[in-house]
Amino acid sequence: MTTYTLSIFTTNTIGLLNRITIIFTRRRLNIESLTVCETERKGVSRFTIVIRHESRDAVEKLVRQIRKVVDVLAVFGYLDHEIVFNEIALFKLATPLGGTPLDIKEINLDWNAKVVHWGLDYVVIEKNGTEAEISEFYQYMKNWEILEYLKSGRVAVGKTEKGLVEYLPEADWETV
Amino acid sequence: MANTQTMTAEATTIEPPKFLTGAQAIMQCLVENNVKTIFGYPGGAIMPTYDALYDYQDRIKHILVRHEQGAGHAAQGFARMTGRAGVAMVTSGPGATNLMTPIADALLDSTPMVCLVGQVKANLLGTDAFQECDIIGMSMPVTKWNYQITDPNEIPEIMAKAFYIAESGRPGPVLLDITRTAQADFMTQPFVYKPCDEIVSYRPRITPKQSQIEEAAKLINSAQKPYIFAGHGILIANAQDELDQFARKADIPVATTLLGMSALPHNHPNYIGWLGMHGNYGANVLTDEADLIIAIGMRFDDRVTGDLSKFISQAKVVHIDIDPAEINKNIVATAPVVGDAKEALKALLPLIKERKHTEWVAEFKKYDDIEFEKVSKRDLFHDGDQIKMGEAVAMLSKKTKGEAVTVTDVGQHQMIVNRYYEYMKPNSLVTSGGAGTMGFALPAAFGAKVGAPDREVIALIGDGGFQMTIQELGTIAQSGLPVKIIILNNNFLGMVRQWQQLFFDKRYSFVELQNPDFITIAKGFGVDAHKVSDRAELSGELDKMLAANTPYLLEIVCEKEENVFPMVPAGASVSSIRLE
Ligand SMILES: Cc1ncc(C[n+]2csc(CCOP(=O)(O)OP(=O)(O)O)c2C)c(N)n1
Repeated sequence: MTTYTLSIFTTNTIGLLNRITIIFTRRRLNIESLTVCETERKGVSRFTIVIRHESRDAVEKLVRQIRKVVDVLAVFGYLDHEIVFNEIALFKLATPLGGTPLDIKEINLDWNAKVVHWGLDYVVIEKNGTEAEISEFYQYMKNWEILEYLKSGRVAVGKTEKGLVEYLPEADWETV
Repeated sequence: MANTQTMTAEATTIEPPKFLTGAQAIMQCLVENNVKTIFGYPGGAIMPTYDALYDYQDRIKHILVRHEQGAGHAAQGFARMTGRAGVAMVTSGPGATNLMTPIADALLDSTPMVCLVGQVKANLLGTDAFQECDIIGMSMPVTKWNYQITDPNEIPEIMAKAFYIAESGRPGPVLLDITRTAQADFMTQPFVYKPCDEIVSYRPRITPKQSQIEEAAKLINSAQKPYIFAGHGILIANAQDELDQFARKADIPVATTLLGMSALPHNHPNYIGWLGMHGNYGANVLTDEADLIIAIGMRFDDRVTGDLSKFISQAKVVHIDIDPAEINKNIVATAPVVGDAKEALKALLPLIKERKHTEWVAEFKKYDDIEFEKVSKRDLFHDGDQIKMGEAVAMLSKKTKGEAVTVTDVGQHQMIVNRYYEYMKPNSLVTSGGAGTMGFALPAAFGAKVGAPDREVIALIGDGGFQMTIQELGTIAQSGLPVKIIILNNNFLGMVRQWQQLFFDKRYSFVELQNPDFITIAKGFGVDAHKVSDRAELSGELDKMLAANTPYLLEIVCEKEENVFPMVPAGASVSSIRLE
């Protein structure tokens, strides 16, 4: 299984998320993660979708089917080495009186994570990184009682000099 | 009512600028788009638009169907004849869901269609209001594009976009879900209609890249046994003349797909038949011998390829299609050409060499002789007393000189029509290919007749499929248009019966029909109807039908357990085609 990251640029229209995801479900493809956001260009949204697949050919076909959607401006499929990517994880840890104290310095310096919220008897720690880094950190976090753990989908940019606007069909894209 | 209230309330104050209601804007957009005919069925959520239509009757002819599925298929038939988007207008909820089958059908068969669908008032959206249905969500997988209109000011731009998307590139169905409020409310700005000819996120490539054309030409010029597969794309692009010149110049045999049928006249020296599950013997078998396949406007559907892993694996492939998603989807293209079929052929023509492939073209003939001996002869020249579908179709073909538009339903009769109707004019077969929708033919034939009133339009339908949209006899009777309807009645769901006979040990599981008296029914609808079961009377009955200038139904009682051959068993390689 290879991980593919798809960057999909679309005009910002209601219902487009649905139109794109049905292309995956119809082919019984599991979406590992999905992130949607506005871009630096007005009216342009960006979907970052991660899938795992053994066939590059199937992924290429998928990309063409997504490109076919009328409101889709451009689609790129990337392998991991072609992108800079990150995820963000939040850990809610129990910090009861008398429990093992947190080593904030280690969390900050060694793990490159930080406490973003101090509750009465819990803290929320934020960790950015790749999936592997986050799961490694997860192992460390297990030294405390994890009340909740969650992680965002991947965000990714291609390792090229070009900005997105250069890939989009010509139009006067206003910056936000 | 809202209308008068606003008028009186505002009459006392300053005279406001007069703007159209959303519903009027919809009508005006249709007029601007040169839409002269729409097919529809009214109901609550579309009533403001029907009210506006009342004042537009002199410019837009509305045809009241008997079921929304009929409106959809009629719009498809109309579109297939005219190349313009067929328009269907229906109400929300069940009206809209009834339209789903034609929409799905139109997507698979690349048929341009604009569906105007009413929706509940905007403030009721998401409340499970009466006849509310998430038709945007529901139609998403089966439309080329869909959009919900909640503001009347959006109407001109969105309608223009809808027609542009439906008709350009690879055509397809578009659905507009229009809230009752967007129909009833006044626009707050003057109506301005600007045709759409560009959408930044949607740019179908019409003119192919020259480099792709050159690559393709190189392969064509060096091929020893080139073979053209001509699909629906030829007819959609109106490229039959270019195909003719191309095939003659390079002397390449041409087979059509089901929907490509009539792309070349039947007597064309390079036309060798049709491909696929029930296609011709040589056309299928010789795919194994070609060294180059030139696929034009076709998509290597599984009904054409059979077992994909064994299909044309020895050949190089030039694949010309306007839809880049079709390239390498099922068959890897050695030389893909993305573009309109007509433009591609025009660009190729000067680059290809004049060649002669006399022997190769003649090879198909040998298989034709075998097919004639084993199949056609039995269908056409027999001494049984029951009428065979094949002989009826062949007779019809002769009597109409191959110049009629045949509209077929789905099943054995569909395949038989393609086998024995000898098309002489382009764009003469309207059928449901990709979806195989039973019930398609009757309303589609009506729509085709509306779109091409000067052509003889003949629907050929099985007794099963006829009963799926039988109520459209009412629409046809009301219109008075001379649509000719032939029921090829074998008293069975014939195609399913054939499969049960061949692949399920003749275990006939729910395929026999107790049919109504079709003649009485047709007459009840006000359609002249006759029945023939005696072979000796067939010719005379067909003559009578063709002479009629009113709607006319002819029921032909056919042999009950006839099978259609050749046949490539589902999933098998095309070389395992059976002749009996
Ligand atoms: C809406 C729909 N339901 C079911 C089928 C499956 N089906 C394909 S052919 C066929 C039999 C058609 O029988 P009939 O209309 O009598 O035509 P014949 O095959 O006898 O010519 C059936 C049931 C279909 N294609 N479409």
